[in-house]
Amino acid sequence: MSVVQNNSEKNKWYLIGILGGMGITMKHLVKNLLNKKKMVTLNYPEEKYEYSPRFKGNHVLTVKKDGSLRCTACMLCATNCPAECIKITAAEHDDPTVEKFPISYEIDILRCVFCGFCEEACPVDAIRMGPEWQTPGVNGNNFIYDINHLAYRPSLKGGILTHVDDEERHKAGI
Amino acid sequence: MESKLLTEFYHLDEFRGIDGYKKNGGYVDLGRALKMQPQQIIDEVKASGLRGRGGAGFPTGTKWSFLPKNGEPRYLLCNADEGEPGTFKDRLMMERAPHQLIEGMIISAFAIGSKKSYIYVRGEYHYPISVLEKAIREAYDAGYLGKNILGSGFDHDMDVYSGAGAYICGEETGMISSLEGAKGQPKLKPPFPAVQGYLRKPTIVNNVETLAAVKYIIRDGAQAYRKHGTEKSPGTKLFSLSGNVMKPGNYEVPLAYPLIDLINKEGGGMKSGRKLKAVIPGGSSAPVITAAEVEKATLDYECLAGMGTMLGSGAVIVIDDSQCMVDMLGVLTHFYHHESCGQCTPCREGTGWLNKIVHSILEGKGRLQDIELLEKVADNMKGRTICALSDAAALPVLSFVSKFRDEFEFYVREGRSKVKGTTYAEMHH
Amino acid sequence: MPKCTINGKEVEVKEGTTIIEAMYKNKDSIAHYCYHPGLSVAGVCRLCMVEIEGNPRVQIACNTTITEGMKINNTSQKVKDATKWGLDFHLINHPLDCPICDQAGECGLQDQYMEFGKYDPEMAEKKQKKHKVVDLGPTVVLDSERCILCSRCVRFTDEVSKTHELGLFNRGDRTEIGTVEGIQLDNKYSLNVVDICPVGALTSKDFRFRQRVWYLKDSETVCTGCSTGCNVKVYFNKEGMFRVKPVFNEQVNGHWMCDEGRGIYKFTNKEARLLKAKKGQGGHWAEMAPGAAAKELSASLKSASGDSIALVLTAQYTVEEYEAIVGTFVNTFKTKKIFFWINNKESFETFDGLLLRGDKNPNTKGLLKVLEKHGITASWGDLTAGLANGSIKTVVVAGPENQAVFPDMKDRITELSKAQTLIWMQAGSNDQLAALKGNVTLIPLKTFVEKDGTFINHQGLEQKFKRATTIVSEALTLDQAASLLSGQEIKISVPVAVETFVETNRRPDEVMLEHRKKNEFVFKRGAL
Repeated sequence: MSVVQNNSEKNKWYLIGILGGMGITMKHLVKNLLNKKKMVTLNYPEEKYEYSPRFKGNHVLTVKKDGSLRCTACMLCATNCPAECIKITAAEHDDPTVEKFPISYEIDILRCVFCGFCEEACPVDAIRMGPEWQTPGVNGNNFIYDINHLAYRPSLKGGILTHVDDEERHKAGI
Repeated sequence: MESKLLTEFYHLDEFRGIDGYKKNGGYVDLGRALKMQPQQIIDEVKASGLRGRGGAGFPTGTKWSFLPKNGEPRYLLCNADEGEPGTFKDRLMMERAPHQLIEGMIISAFAIGSKKSYIYVRGEYHYPISVLEKAIREAYDAGYLGKNILGSGFDHDMDVYSGAGAYICGEETGMISSLEGAKGQPKLKPPFPAVQGYLRKPTIVNNVETLAAVKYIIRDGAQAYRKHGTEKSPGTKLFSLSGNVMKPGNYEVPLAYPLIDLINKEGGGMKSGRKLKAVIPGGSSAPVITAAEVEKATLDYECLAGMGTMLGSGAVIVIDDSQCMVDMLGVLTHFYHHESCGQCTPCREGTGWLNKIVHSILEGKGRLQDIELLEKVADNMKGRTICALSDAAALPVLSFVSKFRDEFEFYVREGRSKVKGTTYAEMHH
Repeated sequence: MPKCTINGKEVEVKEGTTIIEAMYKNKDSIAHYCYHPGLSVAGVCRLCMVEIEGNPRVQIACNTTITEGMKINNTSQKVKDATKWGLDFHLINHPLDCPICDQAGECGLQDQYMEFGKYDPEMAEKKQKKHKVVDLGPTVVLDSERCILCSRCVRFTDEVSKTHELGLFNRGDRTEIGTVEGIQLDNKYSLNVVDICPVGALTSKDFRFRQRVWYLKDSETVCTGCSTGCNVKVYFNKEGMFRVKPVFNEQVNGHWMCDEGRGIYKFTNKEARLLKAKKGQGGHWAEMAPGAAAKELSASLKSASGDSIALVLTAQYTVEEYEAIVGTFVNTFKTKKIFFWINNKESFETFDGLLLRGDKNPNTKGLLKVLEKHGITASWGDLTAGLANGSIKTVVVAGPENQAVFPDMKDRITELSKAQTLIWMQAGSNDQLAALKGNVTLIPLKTFVEKDGTFINHQGLEQKFKRATTIVSEALTLDQAASLLSGQEIKISVPVAVETFVETNRRPDEVMLEHRKKNEFVFKRGAL
């Protein structure tokens, strides 16, 4: 960063500038005291801003009707992820209609750039970006989210149901 | 002129046994043939212009002359796997005159120099199989089969082989596969069976009627045989008349016989006085022709080919104006879907696809573009596979849809039959 | 030698060549599934359609022999339409399984649809349902729904392995591949059916769901499973090696390889490897860098008298490495006590008629050649005697890479541990070695995928191969070990970028796609 020094005469009249600035501050103070509704700031953390429903916050893995993970471990999200923050280990499921499922699904949320490509790549609506964004943690470990956190964290109340249902697809002959 | 050759004595019960058959001129021609040179017989058959009666109508003498000249073992197979819906002439021939077939086969085998022949009979034909087996035993006992037949030095053995219920085994290479003990699937051509067939040896496959007719060519001579029919389609042929006629059955008429006469004279006219709507002239694989075309049609290879259909196996299916063509196509597509061997992709998937589309129309779920799709699918199945089953499935669809498009469109729009006014469920309870 | 014109180009071919073979040679692209150069012609997929001048109908290229003056093209609209519809017929009952299908990314159906497909599906009806996840045998899993019934696998078991396990059952669009009840697909070459399957119908149990194929790089090398020396491709990424597939070589293995050879990737992975050098004295082990450990030993080796040093070699290293180590021992240490450890004497000469040989070493011929060159005639008996009477004090062993094919491993370790000083160099870890209590040094070596070199196979054919990847970077090659043991430094050769990694991501029957080249970044990124 470079510092530009301005040694002009005008610069010496700083007091007027300060008073002007104070004036603006006072104006807003009085305005806000008189009309609280039009105030722009929030009393965080007591008050929180309502983001649009399309907000891309922390990831959610959706579940099927029986509560199991919708994810088929196709790894398209991991392939598509520009930050390479998704790590999946696939395994063979006992149920032949399920066939493949993830035994581990980890997102390193500190690497994530919240681009939403994973959501877009998913062929079965298994991953979505939810509304959460304030997710503090004590140490680095708290930021690697596993299946338990992604699909079954308390705020999801038992999991979010997916749009894509295997049985319905089977009946439709797809 | 009496136009009956093959079926002349079919009304006689004794014609089934060897004695009755001999009494009516049986096995006389075999003796004559065995005194001729094999090449002479082939030339005679060639001169007669006999064409294959199984469906394709390929000249028999020409087929025989494709055999390689050297003396390796060769086989004669009689195709009696009569699976074409509407056809039942071979059954009659085997039941009524098994010796006629056997004699024709021995003559043919002598002509092509084969020491072993098989009759591949459709699996469902239990009775014809027992008749044939009995007749072959009689022929062996009488010295017409076995070693040194009639002192000519020619040996020949014959066996009956029962199919297992597959339409595709009526195709010659499919039949050879089945006979070899493999899954009944047609083989790639070339090599053709005449070069590499059963057990990879030269093989001639002929229909029952073709082989039986050889006897009469030897009996009367090629010129006499040519007196029946036309220049390009000589001889007589059995037609299996079925459908909405008064007297369905097998009728032997010379080729180029008017189709309308067959229906009205031999068949006794339409059943319950209804109007003729359409005719499938050559078994279910042949494209359908409308009543107007029937008036002009004669039963020979050229005329029907000119109308875009074919003589096929000679199974004339008569359809009256009470029949729903969509429903009928549903029956046909179901048949071909069931019978496709599953080897070539266009046929395996296409027959299923056609069946699904026609049935979705029948169930009232059709869309107008489905009719066009039927044509597209059928068009792309045509001529793309190893054997002709794909064509056989596609051609009826194309002809039904193009000639009775109004019925299909009505069905799609209303969800019920134009002719019967009922839905599919109501038609079939 | 008939001449013909293919897509406007005049081509001269051998008598009896089919159109598809000529097009292959000519590098013309043509759609096909059922045709495989190593199998008989089935002609069932009906995709390799060509138009021949004078023939109104399109013909299949795989069963049409070229005759003089034939004019062939497969670029006309008629042929394109036929291929489009042919592909659509394949796809109407093919499930939308790509996300969970292991073949995705190297699938014939995906590739060919991209190049020749209709892009306008019209199938609105229900798909045909068939069996999924069918266990065919110990190595292979079948998914009938994905199968396009090209019958390559059936023809393979009929014509190549001649075990006739597979067959086509049922008919029409209900047809399925399968085995007769009570019979399993269980032969020494069963995994070849997975390679030749153009779709994901047959998958290998070993590789199933382990990796998506686009995460893998591949490189050509030579199989070390036996003395046949099949040409293979190894597939790897930063996590290690994942599978081995055959590469066509007419002289050596044709199109195939055995199931045993496909397991050779396992001993190259980190889990099975010795990662650090270990110096042991009385059961206490000190870990060291391999290079440092080898160098430390040089002084004691040099000071020892020549005849008290013995070298034991297995036939699992390259010719170059043998040259280096045998040269070092003969010239620097002045010993001719160099012994060839033969692993399975009884079955050494056996051969199963196709590929598998009893000699489970890739380079027996190479080792014998080097030993002969240096005039070494010592037999194993001398070593046993020398160890017994104490004349041999130091034994240096270049142990086997693939320990599974050395059934006598245990006995030999016991025998050789009688030496006062034992220097055991090998790639893999071994519990018995780690339990030795004497004066032992273990030095990790590199495996065949981590080095360049030459193997000489049973025919005497020299096969050069290049390094594919590095798994244990600290490990030494045998020639590096030789120079360090003799007190020299390792010569560091500056790797030439072109030579370090020979990428052969192209399958012989793959269709090259322009858009895929453009998207190289997207397709390869996961592997970086």
